[in-house]
Amino acid sequence: MRGLIEKDLRLTLTRKQTILIFAVMAVFMSMSIEGTFIIGYLTMLAAIIAVGTISYDEFDNGFAFLMTLPFDRKTYVREKYLFSLMMAAAAWLIGTLLYFISSLIRRSPADPSELPMLLAFIPVLYMSVTVMIPLQLKYGSEKSRVVLFLIFGIIAVLVFGVSGITGGSSDAFAGPVQTLDRLSPAVVLLFLTAVCVLASIASYIASVRIMEKKEF
Amino acid sequence: MLRVDNLVKNYGDFRLDISMEIPDGAVTGIVGKNGAGKTTAIKAVLGLIRPDGGHVTINGKEAVNLTGRDRELIGTALADSGFSSYLRVEDVICILRKMYPTFDEAFFRKNCDAQALPYGKKIRELSTGMRAKLRVLAALSHKADLLVMDEPTAGLDVQARNDILDLIRQYLLINEKCSVLLTSHISSDLEGLCDDVYLIHDGRILLHEDTDTLLGSYAVLKVSDETYEKLDKRFLLSSRKEQYGYVCFTNEKQYYAENYPGIVIENGSIDDLILMLTGGK
Repeated sequence: MRGLIEKDLRLTLTRKQTILIFAVMAVFMSMSIEGTFIIGYLTMLAAIIAVGTISYDEFDNGFAFLMTLPFDRKTYVREKYLFSLMMAAAAWLIGTLLYFISSLIRRSPADPSELPMLLAFIPVLYMSVTVMIPLQLKYGSEKSRVVLFLIFGIIAVLVFGVSGITGGSSDAFAGPVQTLDRLSPAVVLLFLTAVCVLASIASYIASVRIMEKKEF
Repeated sequence: MLRVDNLVKNYGDFRLDISMEIPDGAVTGIVGKNGAGKTTAIKAVLGLIRPDGGHVTINGKEAVNLTGRDRELIGTALADSGFSSYLRVEDVICILRKMYPTFDEAFFRKNCDAQALPYGKKIRELSTGMRAKLRVLAALSHKADLLVMDEPTAGLDVQARNDILDLIRQYLLINEKCSVLLTSHISSDLEGLCDDVYLIHDGRILLHEDTDTLLGSYAVLKVSDETYEKLDKRFLLSSRKEQYGYVCFTNEKQYYAENYPGIVIENGSIDDLILMLTGGK
C-alpha cells in the first residue's frame, strides 16, 4: 500500500506545472470570487487528479507490470479510494485556508462556526470519486469519460423531467432543501458522511469485482 | 518452485495447452515463434490471466491467488510493460524502497551507476537499452526466489544484451537457489544461460530438453536425395526438402556420425530447433 501511494504521489507530481497553474488560478479565484466556491473547486480538482492516476497506470500497457508488484488487486483498489480521499482532504484544507485568508483580506472574516458545513464538501465531492473509480477501471480513461457524461446527462434529464412533471423549476426540490435547512450543520454533515460511506462501500465492492475479473 | 499442470487458455482460435515444471535453482527458457504462446504462458505464471483449465502453482499456491507477500519473492521483467514512463529512475528507487522490504538499494544504485542510468531522467527519455536494463534491475533488486522474464533482451544491440545477461548471471551466482523462467527470440542468450528449454508451437509444447543435451546430441544433417533415401530415419525429428537434397534434424548426432561418415553434420542450436521442429516437413 505504501509503495502504491508513493507511486501515485510521484505520478501526481509529474504534473506539477499543471497543478501549479491551477494553484495560482485558485489563489486569484479566492481573492476575486466571494464565498466557498474555491473549496469545492480545489477539492473536486484534487479528486479528479487522484482518480486520473489510474490512466497513468493503464498507459503503455502498464497494468501488466504493475499487477506483478507485491500487492493484490483488492489492495490496488483500496489504495485508489484512500489516495483520492487524501488528495481531496489536502485540497479541502488548502481551499479552506484560502477562503478564510481571503475573507480576512476583504475585512469580512468568515465565521469558524461554518467549518462543519464546509467539511461537507468532502463527502459530497467524494461521491463523484465513488462513481469515477469503478467507471475508469471498467472502461479505461477514454471510454469512462463518455460514460460519465452519459450518466450526468441522464441525471440532468431526470432532474428537469421531475421539475417539468411537478410544474415548476424548483418546487420538486423545495421540500427536501427546506428539510435540510432546518437541520443543524452537524446532523447534515453526519448524514452526508453516512451516505458517502455507503456509496464508497458499494463502489469499492464493484471496483474489486471489476479488477478481479480483469486480465492483463 | 513453479508447476504448470495442463494449463489451458483460449483466445478465439488460439489454444494454449501446456505443462511444465521449474525446480528450485533451475534456469528454464521458453522458445518459439511469434504467437506461439510464450507470453501467454508467462502471463499465466504471473497470475495476470485466469486459466480456462489446469493449474499454475508457485511454491504450491495458485498463481491467481498470490498475495502481496508471495509476490515479494518474484522478480518480473516484461518486454512491453514496466513502470510508468513519466516516472524518473529516482522515483522508481523510492517506489521500490516502499514496495519491497528486501529492496537492496545499494545494489540497485551500484548497477545504475555501472550501466550509466541517469537518475533524474524520465523513463520515456531513456534509450531502449536503458529501459530494458532498468526493468531487469528492478526485478533483481529485491532478492527474489523466482525471476520471470519475458524477452528481457528483445530489440537490443549486442552490448546491451550482454550487459543484461551478465546482470542475470551475477545475480544467479549470488542467489544459487533462485529459479528463472525466461523467454527470448535470441537463441544464443538462452544457450548461454538456461539449464533446459521448452519449445512451444501453436500453444503446445513440442519439446523439452536440457540445453547441454540439445547442444551435444542434436544436429542438423545435410544430405543429397540419394543419401536421404538410404538414411535410417528412426532418429530424425524432422526433415525438409532443399535444392541440394534434404536438411534433417536429429537428436542422435553420434549415431549418424558413426554410420554415415560422408554426410554433413552441423551441431544443433536452439535456432535449428525452432526452424526444424516448427517449420520443417
